[in-house]
Amino acid sequence: MGMQGDFFQLLKEQGYQFGQPAVAGAGVDLPSATTILAFKYRDGVLVAGDRRATAGNMVMYDRTDKVLEIDRHSVMAIAGVPATAYEMVRILEHSFKYYRRTQLQELSFEGKLRAVSKLLKENVAAALAGTGAVVPVFAGYDFEQGAAKIFFYDILGAEFEGVEYAVSGSGSPTIRGILHYVNTWGERPLAALTEEEATVQALRLLTSAAEFDSATGGVNREASLYPVVKFITQEGLRTVPDSTLKQLFETKVSRHV
Amino acid sequence: MYEEPYRWVEAVGNRRIYLDEQFRQGSPVVALGYEGGILLTTASKGTPKLYEIYDRLALGGMGHPADLEKLRFSLLEMAHTEGFNRSPSDVTGSRLVKYGIAPVIKQAFEEVYKAPFIVRMLLAELGQKPEKDTLLTINYDGTFDERRDFAVLAATKQAQTRMQDYLKAQAVSPCSLEQGLLLALCAWAVGSLAHQQDSVEASADSGPERNRDAAAPIPDQAALLAHLREVLVDRTLECAVLERQQAGSSKYRALKPAELARLLPADFQALVTG
Repeated sequence: MGMQGDFFQLLKEQGYQFGQPAVAGAGVDLPSATTILAFKYRDGVLVAGDRRATAGNMVMYDRTDKVLEIDRHSVMAIAGVPATAYEMVRILEHSFKYYRRTQLQELSFEGKLRAVSKLLKENVAAALAGTGAVVPVFAGYDFEQGAAKIFFYDILGAEFEGVEYAVSGSGSPTIRGILHYVNTWGERPLAALTEEEATVQALRLLTSAAEFDSATGGVNREASLYPVVKFITQEGLRTVPDSTLKQLFETKVSRHV
Repeated sequence: MYEEPYRWVEAVGNRRIYLDEQFRQGSPVVALGYEGGILLTTASKGTPKLYEIYDRLALGGMGHPADLEKLRFSLLEMAHTEGFNRSPSDVTGSRLVKYGIAPVIKQAFEEVYKAPFIVRMLLAELGQKPEKDTLLTINYDGTFDERRDFAVLAATKQAQTRMQDYLKAQAVSPCSLEQGLLLALCAWAVGSLAHQQDSVEASADSGPERNRDAAAPIPDQAALLAHLREVLVDRTLECAVLERQQAGSSKYRALKPAELARLLPADFQALVTG
């Protein structure tokens, strides 16, 4: 039946395969050389990620975009095997559009969450073989509830809501503690921060992660390389321009580094 | 009995007469380029008739809703699998029509034992540059036509010609969305009036030899808008744009009643928001 607006099903009917392990199980590898984070601020959700891609202890690329826009109101930040993660994002992007265009209505936020979960479940074999594990953070605006929300996943596809914040990647243990501390004993909780304050926090957090995790790229001022920072509000998605990041980094972040 | 060539030609001819009859109640569709992209408009009864097909593709249709749905789904499936397997820039209106649905429609039309598709469709494609914009119209027999500036769907050949003549005479380029919308709606009214005229003539048994070119002159804008207001009492004005400046990959946007009310003359306010 093609009338249900399920793009992934359509792909499968056409013989597309997703999540097949390339080689037989070599055991679980911790697939998370990166740092991504999302937290709620005053007007919505901030999602940010560093830009380094690594293979073992080699830096492969310093301009990766790990905070990927899926539609006008949702992003998926990815930690894990990039090949699988990018493919997942492509499938999701087409799935949400296909649903909207066939059914003449937007897929619900819960429907979107399920779609992410379903793809992760399809991918379990590859994840366990060590060739395709992805641990994403999904954030978007839930129009039914009238609020921006954050969800994080394990490699098996279980979904958890990040009520205040969520992190993933090898640099995440460092900043998880900071987020807890700042949110609990900071001057104000994260949810009260303005857009600018939230951006400063995100830059500081990613800089801290880069300090202790070699697989997380921090800010490279010589090359004008800044992390990717995006906001999700009712109006949609916005990316913070590099010029703003540069100015905030120089005035509010770099003095202690 | 259709095995004989003559019978088959006759059967196909009968189909044309039958199919032409099916569009009588339909609402014309107008698509034209404006400075920000392409706009499509129609006034529908019940089911919507303007749709988003892909990032830069919009569809307008006339005919039987079930047939239109079937072909719309084919277009959506083709466009999305192609866009996923290759790239969104490989999904073009021309490919979808020429190698996708036109052959299917033609085959259904000529297989005289099976039901044909009762549809006329208009596929608008927003090019990367304005000069690459394409408007494709497909008839129920699988023939298609490609235009750049404007395109229309109408119930009869005569209505179609009158709408095209009107657009040709009135078009200003470049025009704003407001100007474009007004022009498109007037062209729609020209088509709608021509439909009425054709129905009257058909029922008055005026005979096929009557000279149709001697049709009444086209009314002025005020009269066209008055007709539109009359019709909108029991129809819904539908308008959608493919906007070049739209952020993100999807360029399609249906105009909401509030925006329509802002763009249209004051006496349309209650009709579009009510």
